[in-house]
Amino acid sequence: MSERRARDRAVDEGYVLHTYPYRETSLLVEIYARGAGRMTLVARGARRPRSAMRGVLIAFQPLQLSWYGSGEVRTLIRAEWIGGQPLLQGAALLCGFYLNELLLRLLPREDPHEKLFDRYGEAMRGLASEAVTGPILRSFEKSLLREIGYAMVLERDVAGDCGIDPAKTYTYDPEKGPLEVSAVASAGMKLAGQTLLDIARDDFSSAVTQQQAKLLMRLLINHRLEYQPLKSRRIFQELMEL
Amino acid sequence: MDALRCMPGVGPKAAQRAAFHLLQYDRPGAQRLASALGRALQTIRRCARCNSFTEEELCALCASAKRDPSLLCVVETPADLLMLEQTLAYNGLYFVLMGRLSPLDGIGPREIGLDVLLERATDGAAREVIVATNFTNEGEATAHYIGEMLRGRGIKVSRIARGIPVGGELEYVDTGTLAQALVERRPVSNA
Ligand SMILES: [Zn+2]
Repeated sequence: MSERRARDRAVDEGYVLHTYPYRETSLLVEIYARGAGRMTLVARGARRPRSAMRGVLIAFQPLQLSWYGSGEVRTLIRAEWIGGQPLLQGAALLCGFYLNELLLRLLPREDPHEKLFDRYGEAMRGLASEAVTGPILRSFEKSLLREIGYAMVLERDVAGDCGIDPAKTYTYDPEKGPLEVSAVASAGMKLAGQTLLDIARDDFSSAVTQQQAKLLMRLLINHRLEYQPLKSRRIFQELMEL
Repeated sequence: MDALRCMPGVGPKAAQRAAFHLLQYDRPGAQRLASALGRALQTIRRCARCNSFTEEELCALCASAKRDPSLLCVVETPADLLMLEQTLAYNGLYFVLMGRLSPLDGIGPREIGLDVLLERATDGAAREVIVATNFTNEGEATAHYIGEMLRGRGIKVSRIARGIPVGGELEYVDTGTLAQALVERRPVSNA
């Protein structure tokens, strides 16, 4: 290995978010790594029939990755399975695709987000082992928004500048936060004060909270995406209609 | 040369070599290639039953009286179909998706014709649907939703098994396969 190559070399724990075919036999690999953040690597020859990387470069599994280079696209040298987590199965796979699309769309490149990386790992382990996926998704969505500079206001009424009353009803301004509404107020999202307080504590045990939190997170994420639709969400809906 | 490069595995150098060769030494060959491609584009279409490529309304496999119509095997590509045929271990019919669910690429149930598969699988002939999509996340998701779709309509759905390759030694098997083989272990039969 040349000196230059050795100098630009990095080793990190990471996940594959998505891969695209590249040239004749290679893959472009979008990764999310603990120290390096989100990056693009080229895996040369990974689409050859006997490539050792072929079966390793799959999403949702923690990998040990090493690469070199300094440009926008670095070159993957090795990818190894770290293990310890079963493969995602069934509907959990769709949840995984959804979280990966969120990261690809919302997380800036080459910016370390270590705390979020740990949350992502927890989410993957949760999706691999738990039957109920809603709370895992909501909790990750909240962490992601906070990481990209959008900490949700959940415990204060931004209009009245007072605490949230669990018994009152609120709407949510994506730029500001919760606003109390009278129970008869017309259009817009309505959230129980209890829901806001539950989300603040990551407590998704109540069915009402789960359902309202899903709508609220969808609103906030759509707002961050400037209302450009998510492919995984459309496909999930189509699958539900089969 | 640019036209030749649209083929997989043909890079700029190979395209140049092929183009010069055809033009310089083998103009009849070039003519044969051009008309064969033209003919194929005109006549090759999707089989009405299995969705694979054929020149007829039905492909030879679907038209054969020797195949067992109670078994329907779902694969991602015509190449996968050929691989399964080479095993000589399967005597049923096929359905080719021409893809897999891939949400991040925008490929959903419509793009791979799950509605057509549903019609095909519920036409009364099939008793069991065997899902032989790849063991990638996309192939697994595809298998899961095919299962959901058909089980709800009273059709038996099975998935091909995965594990250690025949003749495989644990020491040389990749970690992912080994891990999943442990998860999906089965009782040792006493037969
Ligand atoms: Zn056919």
